Amino acid sequence: MGEMNSKLTSKMTWLQVIGVVLFCFLTTVVFMHNDALYTQPIFQVSRVQAGKKSKMTDEFQNVDHYHQQTLYGEITNGRYAGKHLAINNAYSDSHAMDHHYLKGQKLFITLHTKPHLHATVKDLKRDAPIAFLFALAISLLFVILKWKGVTVIASILVNTMLFWIAIMIDHNNDGAAVIMIFSVLAVIFCFVTLLLVMGWSKKMLVTLSAVLAATALTILITLTVFALTHEKGIYYESMQYVTQLPKPLFIAEVLIGVLGAVMDEATDIVASLATLKAERPELSKMQVFTSGRQIGKSIMGPLINVLFFIFMAETLPMTLLYLKNGNSWQYSFSMNMSLGMTSSLISGIGIVLTVILSSLFAGLWIKGDER
Amino acid sequence: MGAITALGIVLLALMVLVGGKQGITSFLSMVVNFGILFFSIVLIAFHLPPIIVTVVASVVLLSITIFWSSASDNASITAFQASCVILVLLIAIIIPIEYWAQVGGFGLEDSEELEGLSIYVGIDFTKIAIATAILSSLGAIAEAAIAIASGLDEIVTQHRQITGDALFADGVFIGKQIIGTAVNTLFFGFFGSALALFIWFYGLNYSLGEIINDKIFAAELIAIVVSLIGVVLTIPITTWMMSFRLKRLQAKKPK
Repeated sequence: MGEMNSKLTSKMTWLQVIGVVLFCFLTTVVFMHNDALYTQPIFQVSRVQAGKKSKMTDEFQNVDHYHQQTLYGEITNGRYAGKHLAINNAYSDSHAMDHHYLKGQKLFITLHTKPHLHATVKDLKRDAPIAFLFALAISLLFVILKWKGVTVIASILVNTMLFWIAIMIDHNNDGAAVIMIFSVLAVIFCFVTLLLVMGWSKKMLVTLSAVLAATALTILITLTVFALTHEKGIYYESMQYVTQLPKPLFIAEVLIGVLGAVMDEATDIVASLATLKAERPELSKMQVFTSGRQIGKSIMGPLINVLFFIFMAETLPMTLLYLKNGNSWQYSFSMNMSLGMTSSLISGIGIVLTVILSSLFAGLWIKGDER
Repeated sequence: MGAITALGIVLLALMVLVGGKQGITSFLSMVVNFGILFFSIVLIAFHLPPIIVTVVASVVLLSITIFWSSASDNASITAFQASCVILVLLIAIIIPIEYWAQVGGFGLEDSEELEGLSIYVGIDFTKIAIATAILSSLGAIAEAAIAIASGLDEIVTQHRQITGDALFADGVFIGKQIIGTAVNTLFFGFFGSALALFIWFYGLNYSLGEIINDKIFAAELIAIVVSLIGVVLTIPITTWMMSFRLKRLQAKKPK
């Protein structure tokens, strides 16, 4: 019986592997041939001719090489579809702002019709690799989690839409009330996500209040610390892609960033405490609180590290560039990593506060006789 | 006192309040992780091969995050082995994807910040993008592996004679419970850190096609989806590791 069972599962597994590979492959092929959907002209490279190579040295003695290349191929969409072109391109060994194009790749180009049809390269078409990765993630979610995978994907989709709506509202307000808009969004995010994860129940309400209270308290503590230290060492001017007032935007970023981790943790703690209280209704409020602290203490460390790595890793390229441009370690840190560090610390505070508040609320409001 | 120091002190105080000695260890693990991360960047700046530096640093970072958590010995060893296997798998996904999508370096949106900086520094930024994607997934892998290994360890301790198949079913069950919320941690982290970028896109009327093909957006999206794949893979791999250990333990002392 056991052997039959394992034979059956292994057969299933092979079918699943084939399914995953097929799905990823098909998605990629579709995205590789969707040129007609774009209004920008796309150019497929069929032959590459390498040109001159020259050595260059900057004022900090960094050595790099500059390569010329000529790309031959044809336009694949729009009114000039089928036209053959030769485009010149140049790239460096470091590829910081340029690309080394290869045979077979598709590129976005800018067409010039005067004096005759010629073009310059804008960027690589990179929707196929993105689609491939998504297909892989989605199929793995389905294979390993079955129907639970659907809820996970649904919650991501709903949250992405909400996020986009909030950005629309923010833009139409000229970024005036960023913190307000994203606080409201945070409340809606939590409500929707927790509803999807836990369903409508008292447990969910306890979790929701813990999450909201912890997040609000975190922002309060942050603003107090900022006021007391006069924001010394916080370089808002180093924030990237800022199109509006940086400080409220930074607070909003941290607020949204920490929300997922806080929900993650509060769900864990409240769910475990509810099970505990159901099994042993004689436990006092204080005992429930203490067990919550025990659970929280073991998950808070790893959870803080999740956000720490997300916030810090993305500062790597710019920090490296600063170091290579002859800046000191301290200056490179301040201008690139200090905001990531600040976000990580604030998130940490939120995560620890969640342990306290979700244990407290669970202790106070969850009764043993509920299911 | 700087704001970062003050926030650090608040965090340390809260962690000690909640976790006592474990709180200090958790705080230290973050500080040491930062040290290792910064040191790796300095090594890369000295032209050591970026991917090798990152892989070595990643193993150290994983071991610190996992062994300094309060999980039991059995759970931490399993979690560490599983996360190393996942690290290898993720690298096998990340390297081809990054070369395929060529998201290394900086985009047009960075132009203002790059003013006055020399960008021809002789370090291949595609490899730096690979390093970034690997590093940003570490926390998520470690957390998921610890959660599943601890849960399974609980079951194994109470249930010495559990079979491999039953344990696998339990692993998937625990995995299902943690995955929904773990995905949220990742995606909100992503939304938060990309908020300014999204506002930029919306403000400058980028079309959906432009956003998907944008270098910076693609780089961040790849990092987060790869972490998600890592978290999903944690479920079967941690469970397999645990059942191997269990089999070895059961073989060593029959009853």
